[in-house]
Amino acid sequence: MRHYEIVFLVHPDQSEQVPAMVERYRGIINADGGQVHRFEDWGRRQLAYPIQKLHKAHYVLLNVETSQEVIEELVQGFRFNDAVLRHMIVRMDEPVTETSPLAKEEESKPAPAAKSDDADESSDEDSTEDNAEEAAEA
Amino acid sequence: MSRYFRRRKFCKFSAEGIETIDYKDLALLKQYIAENGKIVPSRITGTKARYQRQLAVAIRRARYLALLPYTDRHS
Repeated sequence: MRHYEIVFLVHPDQSEQVPAMVERYRGIINADGGQVHRFEDWGRRQLAYPIQKLHKAHYVLLNVETSQEVIEELVQGFRFNDAVLRHMIVRMDEPVTETSPLAKEEESKPAPAAKSDDADESSDEDSTEDNAEEAAEA
Repeated sequence: MSRYFRRRKFCKFSAEGIETIDYKDLALLKQYIAENGKIVPSRITGTKARYQRQLAVAIRRARYLALLPYTDRHS
Protein backbone atom coordinates (compact mmCIF):
# COMPACT_ATOMS: atom_id res chain seq x y z
CA MET A 1 0.00 0.00 0.00
CA ARG A 2 1.31 3.36 -1.01
CA HIS A 3 0.03 6.89 -0.94
CA TYR A 4 -0.88 8.57 -4.17
CA GLU A 5 -2.29 11.89 -5.20
CA ILE A 6 -4.53 11.80 -8.25
CA VAL A 7 -5.75 14.82 -10.18
CA PHE A 8 -7.90 14.46 -13.25
CA LEU A 9 -9.63 16.84 -15.61
CA VAL A 10 -13.11 16.03 -16.84
CA HIS A 11 -14.76 17.41 -19.95
CA PRO A 12 -16.98 20.33 -18.83
CA ASP A 13 -19.99 18.84 -20.65
CA GLN A 14 -19.59 15.66 -18.59
CA SER A 15 -19.47 17.53 -15.27
CA GLU A 16 -22.63 15.83 -13.99
CA GLN A 17 -20.85 12.49 -14.22
CA VAL A 18 -18.17 13.53 -11.75
CA PRO A 19 -19.87 12.35 -8.52
CA ALA A 20 -20.65 8.98 -10.13
CA MET A 21 -17.08 8.62 -11.37
CA VAL A 22 -15.64 9.44 -7.95
CA GLU A 23 -17.98 6.93 -6.33
CA ARG A 24 -16.87 4.27 -8.80
CA TYR A 25 -13.18 4.95 -8.12
CA ARG A 26 -13.84 4.99 -4.40
CA GLY A 27 -15.52 1.59 -4.75
CA ILE A 28 -12.52 0.17 -6.65
CA ILE A 29 -10.11 1.50 -4.02
CA ASN A 30 -12.12 0.35 -1.00
CA ALA A 31 -12.75 -3.09 -2.51
CA ASP A 32 -8.99 -3.69 -2.45
CA GLY A 33 -8.64 -2.52 1.15
CA GLY A 34 -7.43 0.95 0.19
CA GLN A 35 -8.57 4.24 1.58
CA VAL A 36 -9.42 7.70 0.28
CA HIS A 37 -7.82 10.27 2.58
CA ARG A 38 -8.80 13.42 0.77
CA PHE A 39 -11.33 14.22 -1.89
CA GLU A 40 -11.70 17.66 -3.41
CA ASP A 41 -13.88 18.84 -6.22
CA TRP A 42 -12.42 22.07 -7.57
CA GLY A 43 -15.28 22.45 -9.99
CA ARG A 44 -15.02 23.96 -13.45
CA ARG A 45 -11.87 25.98 -13.77
CA GLN A 46 -10.43 28.10 -16.53
CA LEU A 47 -7.51 26.28 -18.19
CA ALA A 48 -4.23 28.14 -18.55
CA TYR A 49 -4.09 26.94 -22.16
CA PRO A 50 -6.63 25.11 -24.34
CA ILE A 51 -6.72 21.30 -24.19
CA GLN A 52 -8.64 19.61 -27.02
CA LYS A 53 -9.88 23.10 -27.95
CA LEU A 54 -11.58 23.45 -24.58
CA HIS A 55 -11.02 26.40 -22.28
CA LYS A 56 -12.60 25.00 -19.15
CA ALA A 57 -12.45 21.69 -17.35
CA HIS A 58 -13.75 20.10 -14.19
CA TYR A 59 -10.91 19.33 -11.76
CA VAL A 60 -11.00 16.54 -9.19
CA LEU A 61 -8.34 15.76 -6.60
CA LEU A 62 -8.04 12.49 -4.71
CA ASN A 63 -5.47 11.47 -2.12
CA VAL A 64 -5.55 7.72 -1.74
CA GLU A 65 -3.70 4.89 -0.09
CA THR A 66 -3.83 1.86 -2.31
CA SER A 67 -1.90 -0.84 -4.13
CA GLN A 68 -0.14 -0.52 -7.46
CA GLU A 69 -2.65 -2.85 -9.20
CA VAL A 70 -5.52 -0.52 -8.33
CA ILE A 71 -3.56 2.49 -9.59
CA GLU A 72 -2.94 0.68 -12.87
CA GLU A 73 -6.63 -0.10 -13.12
CA LEU A 74 -7.52 3.55 -12.51
CA VAL A 75 -5.03 4.71 -15.16
CA GLN A 76 -6.58 2.29 -17.66
CA GLY A 77 -9.95 3.77 -16.77
CA PHE A 78 -8.70 7.32 -17.33
CA ARG A 79 -7.10 6.44 -20.67
CA PHE A 80 -10.18 4.83 -22.13
CA ASN A 81 -12.64 7.34 -20.75
CA ASP A 82 -13.17 10.11 -23.28
CA ALA A 83 -14.59 12.38 -20.58
CA VAL A 84 -11.19 12.51 -18.85
CA LEU A 85 -9.06 15.11 -20.63
CA ARG A 86 -5.95 14.65 -18.54
CA HIS A 87 -4.82 12.92 -15.39
CA MET A 88 -1.78 12.99 -13.16
CA ILE A 89 -0.80 10.59 -10.39
CA VAL A 90 1.96 11.52 -7.98
CA ARG A 91 3.35 9.22 -5.30
CA MET A 92 3.28 10.77 -1.85
CA ASP A 93 5.15 9.88 1.32
CA GLU A 94 2.21 10.16 3.66
CA PRO A 95 -1.55 10.68 3.69
CA VAL A 96 -2.59 14.27 3.16
CA THR A 97 -5.87 15.38 4.63
CA GLU A 98 -5.77 19.18 4.96
CA THR A 99 -7.44 21.35 2.35
CA SER A 100 -5.21 22.16 -0.60
CA PRO A 101 -4.34 25.81 -1.36
CA LEU A 102 -6.43 25.62 -4.53
CA ALA A 103 -9.56 24.51 -2.73
CA LYS A 104 -9.03 27.20 -0.07
CA GLU A 105 -8.85 29.79 -2.82
CA GLU A 106 -12.18 28.52 -4.20
CA GLU A 107 -13.79 28.87 -0.78
CA SER A 108 -12.55 32.38 -0.15
CA LYS A 109 -13.42 33.60 -3.63
CA PRO A 110 -17.17 34.36 -3.27
CA ALA A 111 -16.78 36.82 -0.38
CA PRO A 112 -13.50 38.81 -0.43
CA ALA A 113 -12.79 38.48 -4.13
CA ALA A 114 -11.83 42.14 -4.59
CA LYS A 115 -9.37 42.01 -1.69
CA SER A 116 -7.49 38.97 -2.95
CA ASP A 117 -7.28 40.53 -6.41
CA ASP A 118 -5.64 43.62 -4.95
CA ALA A 119 -3.13 41.49 -3.12
CA ASP A 120 -2.27 39.69 -6.35
CA GLU A 121 -1.69 42.95 -8.15
CA SER A 122 0.62 44.34 -5.52
CA SER A 123 2.71 41.18 -5.49
CA ASP A 124 2.96 41.35 -9.28
CA GLU A 125 4.24 44.90 -9.03
CA ASP A 126 6.88 43.80 -6.56
CA SER A 127 8.14 41.10 -8.85
CA THR A 128 8.35 43.41 -11.87
CA GLU A 129 10.30 45.90 -9.80
CA ASP A 130 12.70 43.15 -8.86
CA ASN A 131 13.11 42.25 -12.49
CA ALA A 132 13.81 45.86 -13.44
CA GLU A 133 16.44 46.07 -10.75
CA GLU A 134 18.07 42.90 -11.91
CA ALA A 135 18.04 44.15 -15.47
CA ALA A 136 19.80 47.31 -14.33
CA GLU A 137 22.42 45.17 -12.67
CA ALA A 138 22.99 43.18 -15.82
CA MET B 1 28.14 57.32 -8.18
CA SER B 2 26.81 54.79 -10.60
CA ARG B 3 26.80 52.09 -7.91
CA TYR B 4 23.16 51.66 -7.18
CA PHE B 5 21.77 50.05 -4.09
CA ARG B 6 19.81 46.86 -4.47
CA ARG B 7 17.62 45.06 -1.96
CA ARG B 8 19.31 41.90 -0.87
CA LYS B 9 17.91 38.72 -2.46
CA PHE B 10 16.81 36.00 -0.12
CA CYS B 11 15.43 32.52 -0.38
CA LYS B 12 11.76 32.65 0.59
CA PHE B 13 11.63 28.94 1.29
CA SER B 14 14.54 28.66 3.70
CA ALA B 15 13.56 31.97 5.32
CA GLU B 16 9.96 30.90 5.93
CA GLY B 17 10.74 27.28 6.64
CA ILE B 18 8.65 25.91 3.79
CA GLU B 19 9.81 22.31 3.48
CA THR B 20 7.90 21.04 0.49
CA ILE B 21 6.61 23.09 -2.41
CA ASP B 22 3.11 22.15 -3.49
CA TYR B 23 2.23 22.33 -7.19
CA LYS B 24 -1.29 23.35 -6.19
CA ASP B 25 -0.15 26.54 -4.43
CA LEU B 26 -0.60 28.77 -7.46
CA ALA B 27 -0.22 32.06 -5.61
CA LEU B 28 3.26 30.96 -4.55
CA LEU B 29 4.30 29.50 -7.90
CA LYS B 30 3.17 32.60 -9.77
CA GLN B 31 5.82 34.61 -7.91
CA TYR B 32 8.45 32.48 -9.62
CA ILE B 33 7.27 32.59 -13.20
CA ALA B 34 8.08 35.51 -15.46
CA GLU B 35 5.56 37.45 -17.52
CA ASN B 36 6.06 35.07 -20.45
CA GLY B 37 5.45 31.99 -18.29
CA LYS B 38 9.09 30.98 -17.91
CA ILE B 39 10.53 29.85 -14.60
CA VAL B 40 12.60 32.67 -13.13
CA PRO B 41 16.23 31.57 -12.58
CA SER B 42 17.45 31.28 -9.01
CA ARG B 43 20.25 33.76 -9.75
CA ILE B 44 17.51 36.37 -10.05
CA THR B 45 15.28 35.26 -7.19
CA GLY B 46 17.96 34.08 -4.77
CA THR B 47 16.19 30.78 -4.14
CA LYS B 48 18.45 28.08 -2.71
CA ALA B 49 19.30 25.28 -5.14
CA ARG B 50 17.40 22.67 -3.15
CA TYR B 51 14.21 24.68 -3.34
CA GLN B 52 14.74 25.79 -6.92
CA ARG B 53 14.70 22.13 -7.95
CA GLN B 54 11.50 21.49 -6.02
CA LEU B 55 10.01 24.66 -7.42
CA ALA B 56 10.80 23.65 -10.99
CA VAL B 57 9.09 20.28 -10.50
CA ALA B 58 6.06 21.95 -8.92
CA ILE B 59 5.76 24.44 -11.78
CA ARG B 60 6.05 21.69 -14.38
CA ARG B 61 3.30 19.71 -12.70
CA ALA B 62 1.05 22.73 -12.49
CA ARG B 63 1.70 23.40 -16.18
CA TYR B 64 0.77 19.87 -17.16
CA LEU B 65 -2.57 20.27 -15.41
CA ALA B 66 -3.16 23.61 -17.15
CA LEU B 67 -3.02 25.44 -13.85
CA LEU B 68 -0.14 27.54 -15.18
CA PRO B 69 0.70 28.42 -18.79
CA TYR B 70 3.80 27.09 -20.55
CA THR B 71 4.12 30.38 -22.42
CA ASP B 72 2.22 33.61 -22.98
CA ARG B 73 1.70 32.63 -26.62
CA HIS B 74 -0.97 29.99 -26.11
CA SER B 75 -3.76 30.56 -28.58
